[in-house]
Amino acid sequence: MVVRLHVNGQRHELDIEPHETLAEVLRERLGLRGVRVSCGEGECGSCTVLLDGVPATSCLMLALQAEGREITTIEDLGTEDDLHPLQQAFIDEQGFQCGVCTPGIILSSKALLDRNPHPTATEVAGALSGHVCRCGAYTQIVRSVLRAAEEMEVRGER
Amino acid sequence: MSADKRHGVVGTSPPVKDAAQKVCGTLTYPVDFELAGMLHGAILRSEHPHARVLSIDARRALDLPGVIGVVTHEEAPDLEWNGTFFNYRGRIFDGIARFVGDEIGAVAATTPEVAHEALGLIAVEYEPLPAVFDAEAAMLPGAPQVQTAGNIREPNVVEWGDLQAARSAADEVAVADVSFGSQQMAPMGRNAAIAMWSGGSVTLHTGTQTPSEVKDAIAEAFGMPRSRVRVVGLPLGTSFGAFWSNNFMMVACLLARKVRRPVKIELSNTECMAHVKRRHEERCRASMGATADGDIAFIDVHHLFDNGGYGFKDDVGYLVLDLWGARVPAGRFVCQGVSTNLVTAGCMRGVGDVTMGSVVERLADQLAERCGLDPLEFRIRNQIRPGDELRAAWGGHLLRHDEQGYERLIDDVTRQAPAALRENWPQHFRLSSGSTVEMLRSAAEEFGWREKFVGWGRPYFAEGPVRRAVGVGTGIHCCGEEMEGNTDATVRIMKDGSAKLFCSIGRQGTCADTTQAMVAAETLGIPLDLIEVEAGDTDACPWSRGSIASTTMFRTGFKTWAAALDAKRQLLELAGREVFDCPAADLDIRDGVIYTTAALRAADSGGPLAGGVPIPYLMMRDREDTFGPTDSITGRPDFPMPPSMAFARHFAAHFVDLEVDVETGKIRLLRYLAAQDSGTVVHPKVLEGQVIGGAVFGAGFALCEQLHFDEQGRVMNPTLSDYKVLRSTDFPPEATVIFAEDPEPVGPFGARSAGEAPTAAPTPAIAQAVYNAIGVWVDVPMTPERVLLAIEAQRREHTTASGGR
Repeated sequence: MVVRLHVNGQRHELDIEPHETLAEVLRERLGLRGVRVSCGEGECGSCTVLLDGVPATSCLMLALQAEGREITTIEDLGTEDDLHPLQQAFIDEQGFQCGVCTPGIILSSKALLDRNPHPTATEVAGALSGHVCRCGAYTQIVRSVLRAAEEMEVRGER
Repeated sequence: MSADKRHGVVGTSPPVKDAAQKVCGTLTYPVDFELAGMLHGAILRSEHPHARVLSIDARRALDLPGVIGVVTHEEAPDLEWNGTFFNYRGRIFDGIARFVGDEIGAVAATTPEVAHEALGLIAVEYEPLPAVFDAEAAMLPGAPQVQTAGNIREPNVVEWGDLQAARSAADEVAVADVSFGSQQMAPMGRNAAIAMWSGGSVTLHTGTQTPSEVKDAIAEAFGMPRSRVRVVGLPLGTSFGAFWSNNFMMVACLLARKVRRPVKIELSNTECMAHVKRRHEERCRASMGATADGDIAFIDVHHLFDNGGYGFKDDVGYLVLDLWGARVPAGRFVCQGVSTNLVTAGCMRGVGDVTMGSVVERLADQLAERCGLDPLEFRIRNQIRPGDELRAAWGGHLLRHDEQGYERLIDDVTRQAPAALRENWPQHFRLSSGSTVEMLRSAAEEFGWREKFVGWGRPYFAEGPVRRAVGVGTGIHCCGEEMEGNTDATVRIMKDGSAKLFCSIGRQGTCADTTQAMVAAETLGIPLDLIEVEAGDTDACPWSRGSIASTTMFRTGFKTWAAALDAKRQLLELAGREVFDCPAADLDIRDGVIYTTAALRAADSGGPLAGGVPIPYLMMRDREDTFGPTDSITGRPDFPMPPSMAFARHFAAHFVDLEVDVETGKIRLLRYLAAQDSGTVVHPKVLEGQVIGGAVFGAGFALCEQLHFDEQGRVMNPTLSDYKVLRSTDFPPEATVIFAEDPEPVGPFGARSAGEAPTAAPTPAIAQAVYNAIGVWVDVPMTPERVLLAIEAQRREHTTASGGR
C-alpha cells in the first residue's frame, strides 16, 4: 500500500507493507541509518525520531501512523560539516561512547530545549529517562545538553 | 626506557576520531553493513536444555520461496574452536544442544523475514538428555555431563603462608557466603556477522572487541590456514565481553560457504541476551581474620562459578587477591569453574573483581567495624602499595589463562629483552605503581567523608522512613595480559607527512582508536589530525590481544609507542643522512617538521624556531641510495613488552551517598564520586567516561541487574522491559571523577589501563552505605524486595535474641 511521509522536510510516496514499522521504513527504504534500532520494543529509545517535534520510538509504531506528521531524524539536525549546536556540544563534552543511543538522545534533547531552553541537570536527566545509554555516559550527556543550551542562548538560536 | 616527557597531545581532550559520525548518525555499525548479492541468515535454536539431535528434516524450509540453503551439524567441520581465556570451547554444530537456544542449524534466504519463517519449517527430532542448571549440582557424582571433557574444571589455587596458624592467631574472624545471579551485558545496538567466501578464503565483517581472536577461531573451526582468513572488525555498540569470538560468527561463515554467497546474520537484542553470553552465576564462601589492631591476618576464599554450555574457564581473573592479599601473611584463593546447561557464561567487564571483590570488601568492612576502624583507615592500613609482592602471579601459583601457563612466558620475554631495557623494567611480581593510599585520602577529602561517616551501621540522617548514609568501596583489575600471544602494532608514515597506525582493537565505545592515535602523535611529533587508525582489518593489522582484559592503553599503547618510535628513528636517520648531515640522535620532530635538537632548544628558550624540514620535503626528495623518493616508512616494535600481569594493575575508589526508604526498600543514589588511578591520563574526557560508565554499570549490578532462568534453564527476562538497567534518573547526573596519576614506568607516557576496576568498586561502596543506613548487609542485586527482606530478617533476629515475640 502507498504511504505518504514527510521526512526531514522532504515528501516521499512509498509502497510499503501495512505491518512495516516507521523505523524499518526510515532505515531500509529511505536509507536513514541514523535511526538506530536496538531493543525493538520501545524500551531503549535509540530509534527515537521527532513527530511534529515530539520524541517517539519509531520501532514501536507503524509507518502508516506517521502519515501527515512532520518526521525529523538525526540526519535533519546537522551534517558532519555543519553541526547543530547540540551535536557540537555532545562532541565537546564527549557525551557518548559507542554512539548507538546518541542520535535518539540528541533528538529528545532538542525537543526538551525547544520547550524548556534553560533546563536544570535534573530536568535534563528526567527528559532523557526514556533512553538507555548502556555505556553509562549519563553525566556527560547531561553536561552536553546544558552546554548546548548555553551555546544556543549565546547565539540567539531561539 | 621512559617515554618522552614533553606532553603535547597526551593529557588533552580533543574530539574523538569518529565523534562527528556518532552525533550525526553516519557511523556504519555491523547492522548497517551490506555486501552486493548478500543473503540473510537466521539461526535454528534448540528448545531443549540438553538434547541429542536425531534427525533434521529441512525439506519444507528449502521449498519456501526465497530460501537458498540450510546448514546443520552434518556439514559442520568436525573441529573444536576455542575462545580466548577458555571463554568458549566447542564445535560450530555437533548435533547436541547444551542450553535452550543453543545453535542447531541455520538458514540462508533472500530476506531476513523468509529466513526466520523457514526456521519454523525445519523438523528436528530430539532425544532429550538429563540437564543440570546449577554449578553445585553439576559437580555431584552422576550429574549429567555437559561438555565431553566433563563438567568440572581443575580448581585454580593461589596459596601462601601458613593459613592454619594465621587463622588460629586471628583475634577477629568474619565469614561470608554470598551467591551471585548472572549479569547480562544487555548490549545496545545490534551485532551482525557478514561472511563472504572467495575461492578458499573467507572474509568476515562483524562487531568484535578482538578481531585477531576471531581470525584465529575461524581458522581453528574450519581447519584452514590463517592466511585465508580475514576479519574486519567494525564499530559496534556496547559489548562488555559479549562479543569477542562467538559461535554465531562461525555459523555465518559456514552458511556463506554452503550457499557460496555473502550471508549476513543479524542478532536481535533478545537473542543476544538469552543465547550468546553472560556473566557467570557465582558463589563465594570466604573468611578473613584480623588482629585486634586491624591488621588482616589471613584471607581464605572459595569461589565457584558456572561456565554455562560452552565456557571452559577455571578462574575468574580476579585481582582482588593483590589489592587485599599483598600485605597479608597467609591466604588461599580457590576458584573453580563448572559446566551447566545454561547459556554460555564468560568474561564480562571486571570479571571476578566485581563479584569476589565485593565479598572480600564486605569481610574487610566487618572486621574494620569490630576493630573499631573507619573503612577508609582499614583500607589504607591493609591494601597494596607500590613495591609490594603480587599474589596473582607469584611463584608456582599463577593465574592460568592458557595451556602453557605463565612462568615459561616470563622467562622467554625476559631473556629476549635488551639489557638496557630490562634495567628500567620494574621488578617482576611486585606492584610497579599505583597510589592506592593517596587516591583514597584525596578522594575522601573531596567527598567530605569525615563529615558524613558517623560510624558503622549508623545513618547520618534519619527522618520518617528515610535513612541516609555514605559508603566507600575499592576495586582493582589487570592491565592486560600476555598469555596466548603478545599484542603488536605498526605505524606507517606517508610521504605527505600523515601517518597511519595499524593496531587490532575493539571499537565498542571506549574510543581507543583515538587514544592510540594520541600515543602515536605524541611519539612521532606529528599532529593528531594527520594520524588515522586501522583498528579492525586483520589483513592490515598485526596480531593483537584486542580490547579485552583492560589491555588496550597499557599493552597496545606500549606497542603503538614502540612502533612509532621505530618509524621516527628511521625517518630521522633518513633526514640526518639526506639533509642535515648529522646523526639521527641530534634531530627531533615537532608539529610534523624535523629540526635539530639544538634548534628546538633555542626556540624553547625564547628564540625563533628555524631550520626545519617538513616531512613531505624529506620524503619527496630523491634519496642517495635508491635515486628515488621515499613512499612510506613503516615502524615496528623491535623490543618485547614485559608481562604486565607481573607488575601492573589499575585501581578505583568510589564514594557514594545514598538514601534507603525502609518502608519501600528503595535505594536512591544521591551523590557519587569516583577516583581512578590509571597512571598518566592520556585523554581526560575519555577516561572520565570509562570511569563513570564503569560506576553506572557496577551500580546496575549492585541495585537491579540479574538474569532469571526457568526450570528448563531458559532465560526469563531477555528484554530491557524485564531486565532493568540504570537510566539517567537512576544515577546522580553531577557525579564527579578525580584522577590519581601515579605514572607507570613501562606504560606509554606513564599510562596504565582503565575500564574494569571502576566496575568493581560500586558494589562494595553501595553495599557498605546501605549497611550504614539500615544496619544490615544486603546481597546483590539490592532490589527493594531484598532490602525489605533483609530488614525483616534482622528484626526477627533481634526479637529472638532479646527473647521477645
